[in-house]
Amino acid sequence: MRCGEQNPAGLTRRRFLAGVGALGVSVVGSQVVTTRVAYGAPASNPNTVIVIFLRGGADGLRILSPHSADLGVNYLRIARPALVPNNAIALDGTGGWALHPAMAPLHQVLWSTGEMTFVPASSNKGVTRSHFQAQQFVEQGGSSSVSTGWLDRVLARLGPGTTFRGLADGFALPMSMAGNQPKISMSSLATFDFPGAGASRGPAMTALGTLYRGFDGPLSSDVPEALSAVATAEVIRSLTTVQNAAVYPDGPTAAALKDLVAILRAEVGLQVATLDVSSWDTHTSEALGLDALLANTAQALAAFFTDLGPARRSRVTVIVQSEFGRRVAMNASGGTDHGHGGLVWLLGGGLIGNKVHGTWVPLASDADLDGGDVQGLNDVFNVLGEVVTKRLGVGSLSTVFPGLSYAPLGVARAG
Amino acid sequence: MTTIYPTIAEAIAKSATTAKAPLTPNPTDHVLSRLAFGPTAAARAEIAERGIPAWIAAQIAAGHTYAGYAGDTLVSTQATLLGTSPADAHTFLKLRGNSYGWDLMTQLTQVTLGLQVWSSAQLYEVLVDFFANHLNVVCPRADLWVTRHTFDRDVIRKHALGSFTDMLVASARNAAMLLYLNLAQSSKAAVNENYARELLELHTVGLVYSESDVKNTAKLLTGRTVDSRTLDYTYNPAIHGTGAVRVLGFRHPNSSTADGEAGGDALLRYLAAHPATATRLAHKLCIRLVSDHPSDALVGAVAKAYTGSGTQILPMLDTILRSTEFWASRGQKVRRPAENIVATLRILDTRPATITAALKYLQVMTQQVGNVPLAWDPPNGYPDVAAAWRSASTLLTLWLHHLALSADSWPNAFAKSNKATLYGGTPANSGDAIARLGVRLTGAPLPVAHVQALQTFLGEAATTPVAKSTLHGLLPSLIALILDGPSHAMR
Repeated sequence: MRCGEQNPAGLTRRRFLAGVGALGVSVVGSQVVTTRVAYGAPASNPNTVIVIFLRGGADGLRILSPHSADLGVNYLRIARPALVPNNAIALDGTGGWALHPAMAPLHQVLWSTGEMTFVPASSNKGVTRSHFQAQQFVEQGGSSSVSTGWLDRVLARLGPGTTFRGLADGFALPMSMAGNQPKISMSSLATFDFPGAGASRGPAMTALGTLYRGFDGPLSSDVPEALSAVATAEVIRSLTTVQNAAVYPDGPTAAALKDLVAILRAEVGLQVATLDVSSWDTHTSEALGLDALLANTAQALAAFFTDLGPARRSRVTVIVQSEFGRRVAMNASGGTDHGHGGLVWLLGGGLIGNKVHGTWVPLASDADLDGGDVQGLNDVFNVLGEVVTKRLGVGSLSTVFPGLSYAPLGVARAG
Repeated sequence: MTTIYPTIAEAIAKSATTAKAPLTPNPTDHVLSRLAFGPTAAARAEIAERGIPAWIAAQIAAGHTYAGYAGDTLVSTQATLLGTSPADAHTFLKLRGNSYGWDLMTQLTQVTLGLQVWSSAQLYEVLVDFFANHLNVVCPRADLWVTRHTFDRDVIRKHALGSFTDMLVASARNAAMLLYLNLAQSSKAAVNENYARELLELHTVGLVYSESDVKNTAKLLTGRTVDSRTLDYTYNPAIHGTGAVRVLGFRHPNSSTADGEAGGDALLRYLAAHPATATRLAHKLCIRLVSDHPSDALVGAVAKAYTGSGTQILPMLDTILRSTEFWASRGQKVRRPAENIVATLRILDTRPATITAALKYLQVMTQQVGNVPLAWDPPNGYPDVAAAWRSASTLLTLWLHHLALSADSWPNAFAKSNKATLYGGTPANSGDAIARLGVRLTGAPLPVAHVQALQTFLGEAATTPVAKSTLHGLLPSLIALILDGPSHAMR
């Protein structure tokens, strides 16, 4: 729950905290970057990659649609008559692709500047139609022999950095971040603080650090990382004022992105961040459910990039992905069942924009599909790999995506 | 190497009861942190008097005696709506002027939490929590407003001490499950595969199924839907799709619509008894009760107990408790966030001041760590391993709650208590006070380094008399720090 948000019990987080505040709140130091002692200087790469995972299998075909006969719109009108969007936004120069109208705010901010591009028909042959297998496979980077996530291994490749070099938004760590590379998991910047009273607060933090010394287990690293992030979070909180007249919608995605802007503005060495958006599993009434969610997500992202401003966002690349696309044909509940090839959106700096990348087989008959689904023609790991290679300079991808024969699609540029 | 002994008593006697540092071996607190939501002073005393095997037997008996929501007299007064049928619930809500109110779902969440903290049938609540998570149906969700509680009552609580086959068959005849996974909308003309896939993948055999198994399962289960008048489960033969089906090793002619419901039940029974289901359930139960990485040998033995007993749940539990691996596993689990909060109330012997406010605050606290019982949205249930719950935010929020509870910050919800009684007597001095609190709150003497860190926190010598100690102001903070530490964070 985010600060100020009303919960069913009728209490806001702020009010809840106020009760404990009776014990007093003290101000901590203003050290901006809390570098882990065991590590060297903050990473020199100034860029950030943010991975937004649409949980549940987002219907890429409704978000970015083939809108010309050449690409297959006539076939879609038969297979999914109620799910081909009306008033789609034609993407000039792409040979007939169009965006769902709910994407308008994002299109307005990013398309003309070349900061937006897409890869349809993306997947990997190891991805099945099971949510949980697919998410795990994608987030582990296609390797069954490791238990860490691909972004944890990106952090390992990048080497030393700041406490805030890896950030997972939310209450639970996504599989892509699983592993022992230091990182911060944060559900809300507003509440990211050490509790307690003035004079005893510092000694309490010191004592707690000592209690977690000298044994194995995730807590022995998570506790010092949390403690070391507290002072930095205090500084970041002073940078949350929205800029450039950005207008955020309601909801957890916007709140998380607003926090991320403050973190980016604080320049605390953020390299990799993750954010989950749930409820894309549209088995029924998809036009209703997906459109509202898409509108909120697109508005939140548009506000995020506006708030960041042109200069800073040239260093920030956002990858939006899902575990799979959905079946091409609509089911009788007005929804779609689990499919295969999905859509990757790429937003922000360092992209080869104004394009729809990768291979697309025009849809003319069932034979163009993979068992009723969009084919997975564009290896999702090549897309992810290219972004972290070119934007973060990870060098070799051999540990990040073991076994991948890296063949970039040309979605990003180095620098 | 896991050895399974004939009795629990023998397993305890023959096991080297070990613990992962900094926890120390303590079979009483171990069993109260695995088969209960944390130790209380009363439960420790009961085990000291009767012994662990008798306590476990009494807990199983208590589960039968206090089935449903009867585990705590005060909490059960708040379960006023949980016995109603969907239609009666809807009538009740209409009369209240809020036909689609979430009253029942909120009540279910809060009563669940209240029972985790205060129920005397703790083992039952642990199993209820485990199976509610295994057959996850998110609560709250708008379209489950008058049915979600029936899933908890008629599926999970009814069968938590019985057979998994019965539980699974009941789950596939429950309106909330059918709505949650879209089986209610599935028909022969418009098959929806959502439930079929998750039945195979999550509820039973796991990823050994084929796409054809999903389609066949979905077909055989068509006809199971929700009656628009009663808002409850019904089988409608008119929308059942006939035709022979084959799912893994199961075959059914499925030749008549009248036979469709029985055919589906036969498939559910087959799936529940499948060896792959046995292994998956055993593995998950071992992850809950033993460690994040249970041995294949233990999982195999537990699966065998499940299969050998005709899918009974208690023999699985019994096998775990007769294993050396269980008694050697203290400290190998990190308490999940909600579990940490519940255990905090239990170890502090916190009682409600006002039960309604107490239940509301429990919900708020678990909400702030993203771990409200039953509230996980996808069908796979909350993760149950430490790696999934690593979060700096959660740590900070848990520390906030430890301090709030030890400082009596919520007097309207939780009864104030004299925290000095936690010393269990009169401490000789500051150092003795720390030592006594450590034993009381973690079940064993704290490691020397921890004692020293806490002494430094108090800013005084161990020999300082209590009358002159900073403890007068810092006792709540000291209690919170001990609960923030690894001895409470792990179980």
